[in-house]
Amino acid sequence: MRLLPLTSALLTLPVSVQAADYLSVEAAQKLMFPAADSFVVQDVLMDAALVQKLKAPAVSALAQGHLRLVSARLGAQALGLVVVDEVIGKYERIRFAVGINADGTVRQVEILSYRESHGGEVRLPAWRKQFAGKRATAALQVGEDIANISGATLSCSHITDGVRRIVTAVAALQAAGKLA
Amino acid sequence: MSRLRRTVLATSAAALFTLLSAPAFAAMTAEERALMERVDRLATELDAVKAELAKLKTEQGAQAAEVALVKAAAPAPAPESDTRLTSYGEINLTVPSEHSADTQIDLRRFIIGFAHRFNEKTRLVTELEVEHAVTSSTDSGEVAVEQAYVERALSEKLALRGGLMLMPLGLLNENHEPTSFYGVERNVVETAIIPSTLREVGAQAVYNFGNGTTLQTGVVTGPSIANWDFSDASKGRKSPLASIHQEGQLARARDPNFFAALNWRGIPGLQVGASAIGGNIGHGQEGFPESRMLLWDAHVRWAPGRWQLSALYAQGTLTNTRQLNAPNVGMATLIPKRFDGALVEAGYKLWRKDDLRLEPFARVERVNTARGFADLGPGLTPERSPTETITTTGASLFFGDGLVLKGDYQWFDVADAADRFNLGLGWSF
Repeated sequence: MRLLPLTSALLTLPVSVQAADYLSVEAAQKLMFPAADSFVVQDVLMDAALVQKLKAPAVSALAQGHLRLVSARLGAQALGLVVVDEVIGKYERIRFAVGINADGTVRQVEILSYRESHGGEVRLPAWRKQFAGKRATAALQVGEDIANISGATLSCSHITDGVRRIVTAVAALQAAGKLA
Repeated sequence: MSRLRRTVLATSAAALFTLLSAPAFAAMTAEERALMERVDRLATELDAVKAELAKLKTEQGAQAAEVALVKAAAPAPAPESDTRLTSYGEINLTVPSEHSADTQIDLRRFIIGFAHRFNEKTRLVTELEVEHAVTSSTDSGEVAVEQAYVERALSEKLALRGGLMLMPLGLLNENHEPTSFYGVERNVVETAIIPSTLREVGAQAVYNFGNGTTLQTGVVTGPSIANWDFSDASKGRKSPLASIHQEGQLARARDPNFFAALNWRGIPGLQVGASAIGGNIGHGQEGFPESRMLLWDAHVRWAPGRWQLSALYAQGTLTNTRQLNAPNVGMATLIPKRFDGALVEAGYKLWRKDDLRLEPFARVERVNTARGFADLGPGLTPERSPTETITTTGASLFFGDGLVLKGDYQWFDVADAADRFNLGLGWSF
């Protein structure tokens, strides 16, 4: 596992690389951690065992072993992390951001882009709030602790799977003492 | 940095001056000696500054290398294709409990499709279906375009569609893949009353209110009453609307039909909705007086925790059936004026391991494809059909999201002989 923490003020740059339909990465970061005064990028290359465990689809950066973490900070204090990833809904890519508190629990999930004809209800706060407070030990499964949206089962399942992968990966890195 | 350079230059000049003036040191005044001592101190400081400068340069170089490494390590988004291949299919085994000789395996449906995105706002969705594996003049199979429509997003909330589209009726018609419903066969209400997959050609607006409410409405082709086959004993009885649908095949289009579906999904796990489609279906065909169709349904689905509970009622009505039937009295199947059905269903996510998932379910349906006929006079008016009750129970074993093995048993209260065991393999992606 290789960790390249960057703490230089020069590198507190936004990480958006593509236009988001509903919310930019920067906006999602500020929305999730409004108290933060800086967002510091860390790119982590995960080891093969973790990548294999996560079983991420090809569209996810995690499938390539990459995990880009954005650490929300207030001065020297780490408030939490933001991770952006993508999944396929039924036909289309869904881009989402997961905010994770310093204690490893999910703070917030935001949908950055959603282009499926059906299932836009995943953007509703009521659906996204189901993730708040959950940690890597939670089931994080549609039909268990996350309710489905009828007619958008694949979008719900795949976003939920995506959140679970991120929370699991972050917990594994934290346990290994690899997070700055 | 420039300040540092100035300091270095000034200090160097002072040092040079010191060297040149060394022999004269003894003859210096006290003031001159103090100056020289100050120069010495400056020289010492210069050495310290040089060392600091060298250290800074080394650190900056290392940091630049680290930045380069990070850039190389940044997650590269996977290339996005504009065209996505889709497919679903069902292979079903049917074992009638009283007529084992009729045991049958059928590649019920094989669908291949693609969705192509022209740009961020515009896309095309298609599905091509083959039913019963083989299609030829001597085989039972059928090749049909199930969907072929374009969609243009006008805003975050509003999209327009045009083409051959699945009608947003009930719970199944638009979500008809085998991984989306319980049971080997589609439920009877949404086969006999809502003839899934009911599709029409026309234009549709999809509006998402942003609060969990979605409205789909449009103007499309409708069935043609001229397609009713009075001589066929089963088609019209099995599903009145399936026997007169047009499905975009040289469809008579004089009379437009209109549809609307309103669904609310504002609470996670809950869907409450209703839909309707209707219009004239005579299309001015000779020998067929005007007739109006109305097909509507109300449905609810609730998925608390591991449960999925569904209920649906659907009803169809046709007008002017007395005039339509009168010349055909004595024929095998007359046109009903009303047909309807209801179902309740419960499924439970019983077991999960890795990507395997077992979900047993039970469903009860009451269906009548000819609940009433228009009065043709004593002895001439057909008797309405008895209401059939179908009880289905079984389980779905999912292999991930895309593959399902299903088994169930169905009891028919009226048509006892139809009781059967079904086993099905389905996929969808």
